[in-house]
Amino acid sequence: MTTTSALARLLKPVMPLAPGMSIADVADRLLTPEHKAFLSLPIVDAAGYPLGLVSRSALQDIFMQRFGRDLRGRHPVQEVMNPAPLVVSLDTSLEEAAKQITGQLQYPITEDFILVDAQGQYRGLGTVLDLLKAMEARIAQRNAVLRRALVDLKESQAQLVQSEKMASLGQMVAGVAHELNTPLGYVKNNVQLLRELSAPLFELAEAQAALADCLADPHCAEVRLAVALDNAAKAREQATPELLVEDLNQLFDDTLYGLQQIAELVVGLKDFARLDRAMSEEVDLNDCIRSALVIARNSIKDKAEAILQLGELPRIPCAPSQINQVLLNLFTNAAQAIEGFGQIRVKTWAEETAVFISVQDSGRGMPAGVLARIFDPFFTTKPVGQGTGLGLSISFKIIQDHGGLIRVASEPGRGTRFLIRLPRPQAAALQRSA
Amino acid sequence: MTAAPIRILFVDDEERILRSLALQFRRQYEVLTESDPHRALQRLKSEAVHILVSDQRMPQMSGAELLAQAREIAPQTLRILLTGYSDLDAAVAALNGGGIFRYLTKPWDQQEMAFTLRQAAQIAARQVQAPVVPSASLLAAQLNVLLLDEDPQTLAVVGDFCVAGGHRLLRVNNLGEALGVLNELPVDLLVSDLKLAGEEVAPLLKSLAQAHPRLLTLVVTPFCDTQALLKLINEAQIFRYLPKPIRRGLFEKGLQAAAEQAQLWRAQPTQVVSRLPEMPREEREREKVGSLLGMLGRLRERLTA
Repeated sequence: MTTTSALARLLKPVMPLAPGMSIADVADRLLTPEHKAFLSLPIVDAAGYPLGLVSRSALQDIFMQRFGRDLRGRHPVQEVMNPAPLVVSLDTSLEEAAKQITGQLQYPITEDFILVDAQGQYRGLGTVLDLLKAMEARIAQRNAVLRRALVDLKESQAQLVQSEKMASLGQMVAGVAHELNTPLGYVKNNVQLLRELSAPLFELAEAQAALADCLADPHCAEVRLAVALDNAAKAREQATPELLVEDLNQLFDDTLYGLQQIAELVVGLKDFARLDRAMSEEVDLNDCIRSALVIARNSIKDKAEAILQLGELPRIPCAPSQINQVLLNLFTNAAQAIEGFGQIRVKTWAEETAVFISVQDSGRGMPAGVLARIFDPFFTTKPVGQGTGLGLSISFKIIQDHGGLIRVASEPGRGTRFLIRLPRPQAAALQRSA
Repeated sequence: MTAAPIRILFVDDEERILRSLALQFRRQYEVLTESDPHRALQRLKSEAVHILVSDQRMPQMSGAELLAQAREIAPQTLRILLTGYSDLDAAVAALNGGGIFRYLTKPWDQQEMAFTLRQAAQIAARQVQAPVVPSASLLAAQLNVLLLDEDPQTLAVVGDFCVAGGHRLLRVNNLGEALGVLNELPVDLLVSDLKLAGEEVAPLLKSLAQAHPRLLTLVVTPFCDTQALLKLINEAQIFRYLPKPIRRGLFEKGLQAAAEQAQLWRAQPTQVVSRLPEMPREEREREKVGSLLGMLGRLRERLTA
């Protein structure tokens, strides 16, 4: 749809009046049914250029005077026309035309407007009412487009939030999978070693059993006994059970420890990713911190030492997997901010109305410009492709949805500290009742 | 074992890994372990170590960093990375900075690990028998540099390098021509992308590693796939891996280091060259490498003559 056709649709091809036409004739013309819809009629010169508009109300003013028609009815209409009417070119856009017309319109509305072509020649009339209707239709259309855009935007925002969640989940799964490789490495090797090392023990057991049989058998020949004795001694020498004891015990201990590590990682993964049953759960945030640290360990381990100062916390109702997501995000950001090897200090404490989590790193810190935008969606200081710029904005939203607050303080060169405050609803209720 | 035993130093921040490896290899080798990379470096300064096997992610220092420092302290020691993380940056750093012999992953296969260490021990034993005596006269020899890359940027850097060093630049348009040149002329340095005229170059690099262990290969490529790089390290024993777009300074340094290494090797008897690639695991690739080895017959004849 082009904007020129929008105005063309308002065009009413009214036959123009010559400037010399008498006022009485114009009045008659205005009374004809085809002109009933118009407030005014156009006056156009011989060359087709508009000269003015004569309005119904101007003629009424004349005719309402005593003998008005008799005195002035024969005068040319030129005398009573508005010589400066609203003239709009057909190639004007609807919006521009509306602006022009409402800008110049005077109350009460007594005239229509003249539509001319690009050369300025008269083409027809347009009425203000039609213009209003066209504008309204246009606005309704725009609204529909906007509404659709809003829906699309909401959908893509939901998708982005989801993809950020998937990205952090993917990062976490990859991290844990790698983390599993270390215990898997030695557990697997140890089990193979245990098999190798224990093989001579079975041979020894067999040789000793044969010897025992021999000894128990009163008819056992001397030669057979000697062979059995010799075999048992050799097997014993081979197996060196007294030397093996320590190795085997160590291997078993390490293997069990490794399996426990693996189990812990799997439990951590499960705890971390559990689906939320709304906010129904009463959670100890210290547990969230520990499980997020297990998951984040692979990205933290070679960057920082995690120092925990976890105070005793009351359980609070929250969505633990969301809180875990926030914590994982803070921990990995902290690790990434550290140059060389640093510290991540995690502190928790409870006050009367709220619980607090502080995550402080000894990283490079942020200048004020970055700090001011840190919770903005899509704001990231990481190279393209390495961060969605949504992590912290989602964290902000999650904490907000929990009725809490997340605040940040940072100093370039010294580090950054995030403080999360989550309300204690029971305490609040108690206070109210007291 | 008649000669002095081969000494292997394992470095990992997880003591259990160290205990497990020590128990696996204490019968064949003299096994040393350190859980702190700084102490491992101290040890390298004061003791002879033939093979160094390091973890990548350790709190005090990354494995790539440890291996790079170890290379300065004890360049003869064969360096191996053993890691549970497949991390491209770490692999590139360990190769370019640490000059690693192998990149191994956790959990490791017992047999494979034993085999790799046996190969490393063989090289180490040869090095012990024939210590390096670089002769100054050969250290400025002219080298033949073969370029397998159509990229004008690569050509510009390699061209400048050859002009400056008085080396001979050989250019080809496809793998067929490359085989021809390799059969006819002694090539010292190979600069290659992973694709040439639409063909995969990796199998040729792997064949060359088998046929011509003294050839030094610098891979310059826009592709960055960790698994592919690991195979290039283990099976093609590439010298450098440089991502495109090329960073000129880094590339020039790599070329310079390769030239120095090539000239050093020229000054040494053939058997001490410390390279021994792994055969490709995949059946089809092994066949391809085998058939390329057949096509490099004249090169192999020349080298064994």
